[in-house]
Amino acid sequence: MHVDLATLERAGAVIGGIVVGVVAFYALYKDWSTPGIENHVFKLMLLLLGVGAVLAILAGVNVLGNFPKAA
Amino acid sequence: MAVASIAHGIAPEGEPDQLYAETRDLRLQGFLLFLISDCVLFSSFIFAYLYLRNSGQGWPPPGIPRLDVGFAAWNSVLLFGSGATMHYALENWKHGNFMKYMWMLIFTIILGLGFLGGQGYEYTHLMLVEHVTWAGSGVFGASFFTLTGMHGMHVFFGVCYLTVLLLQSAAGTYTKQKYFGITAGTLYWHFVDVIWVVLFSIFYLI
Repeated sequence: MHVDLATLERAGAVIGGIVVGVVAFYALYKDWSTPGIENHVFKLMLLLLGVGAVLAILAGVNVLGNFPKAA
Repeated sequence: MAVASIAHGIAPEGEPDQLYAETRDLRLQGFLLFLISDCVLFSSFIFAYLYLRNSGQGWPPPGIPRLDVGFAAWNSVLLFGSGATMHYALENWKHGNFMKYMWMLIFTIILGLGFLGGQGYEYTHLMLVEHVTWAGSGVFGASFFTLTGMHGMHVFFGVCYLTVLLLQSAAGTYTKQKYFGITAGTLYWHFVDVIWVVLFSIFYLI
């Protein structure tokens, strides 16, 4: 089986994205009820971090950023 | 009371811990204002880029190749992963797990350096192989290198900041009650992550 560098990069993005996404959303779930401005900012940032991880997964599996080759 | 004393140039009374407790919220507000101002800076560049992008005929402009989405996704995961490790560094500090905190901070620095290395590789590839440059590739080159370069500079300064945090923590500068520097470092690093979520989306995914 031939595995090129691009496939490895995408596989890394998907696996890493899943790990980061799970960690970010779990941390958000755990911190959900913590009070204070600083914790609210952390929660917002963890949410966006999780969104970033989902975007990386979708890019890794060619759902996003899958543009046709230029003619 | 202590804040008022400082504002009037009078030496504050009470214990240093009390002074810290009374000024911590002010420091936090100041730091959040700094992040908001940085957000405005990035927003202005991002909206300028989106305006220019939508005023042309197609994107990328003729003669400019598409960016490598797979590599960018992998590099993004490095940075997002560093955000997660930094979050757990702070959590470990709050729970008194010093060694776990130090390791998480070291992982964060390594992942941050990995992201910078990836960005350096991408720049080199774009400039030497694809011949896309900051000044010679029109709106695309100017906006891409300006925005990602500005973000990369923030990551670089963030790595420097985290390295200072690591040294300060090893030297015993922070205690379980007084650790605003670590909180600020975590906020800054999350901010850098979040900005990259936006840049990754607008340059590689749409």
